[in-house]
Amino acid sequence: MTTKSGKKTVYFASWILALAAFWLLLSGYLKPLLLCFGVASVALVVLLLRHMDNIDKQPQKLPLSFAFFRYSSWLMGQIVLSSIEVTKLIWGNSKNLSPAIEKLPVTSSTGRKRVLYANSITLTPGTLSVDVDDDHVTIHALNEKSLDVLRAGKMAKKIATVPVAKN
Amino acid sequence: MILESISTILLILGAFFSLTGAIGLFRFPDFFTRVHAASVTDSIATILIIFGLILRTDFDLVTVKLLLILVFLLFTSPTASHALAKSARHGGLLTLPEIRATKKEDCSS
Repeated sequence: MTTKSGKKTVYFASWILALAAFWLLLSGYLKPLLLCFGVASVALVVLLLRHMDNIDKQPQKLPLSFAFFRYSSWLMGQIVLSSIEVTKLIWGNSKNLSPAIEKLPVTSSTGRKRVLYANSITLTPGTLSVDVDDDHVTIHALNEKSLDVLRAGKMAKKIATVPVAKN
Repeated sequence: MILESISTILLILGAFFSLTGAIGLFRFPDFFTRVHAASVTDSIATILIIFGLILRTDFDLVTVKLLLILVFLLFTSPTASHALAKSARHGGLLTLPEIRATKKEDCSS
């Protein structure tokens, strides 16, 4: 019981810290009156968070981890590479286009990893996730080749290493 | 001085990719391929322009705000593209290979 309440304290404390930091970074004011407003808004959000957690039983952990940042920087690299590909297609002959659509299986079990996967696919130019269901993602690609890359599953493997809260 | 010139390069590159996205929007043949063209503007042009702007700040709160803008754009723009594509698909819009396949069937039958 003690560990459970301890976990809850850490959970709320991390949210309070994150929200306070967010407020301070966005406002930058240190006048007492405005700080009071900040404290009040943080308190309100945390109260709402607790209320929502009681209703939907899905506490949302802060998605901050080293693996997530590593994945983001890898994704940035992918974005740059595939943007250059798409740019070539745009300025080149439009007959080089070979749009393709395919349903690829998704192995990641949790909903959030699927969302991250579909979002990453759409974020990289040249591939677009059209539909997501429990175990498939329908992908539209500008080039047959980029579908092959996704089929090889490098992105899916990278996502599997990102710890995301289960639900 | 160095920072300023790097920032200029980034901004010009960003503008170039924005333009590329816009031109692709006109040149590409159908809805789905056009979404791809728009995603060039969504992703790399946004990243380049915001990093170009960050290099011009005094590395204070404005920098943080720009970074947050980047994060939010990178989360929301794929969602918007996905929503567009999904509703087009569910509304019955066919992609180019599918149109070709149905045409072939019509010809052979």
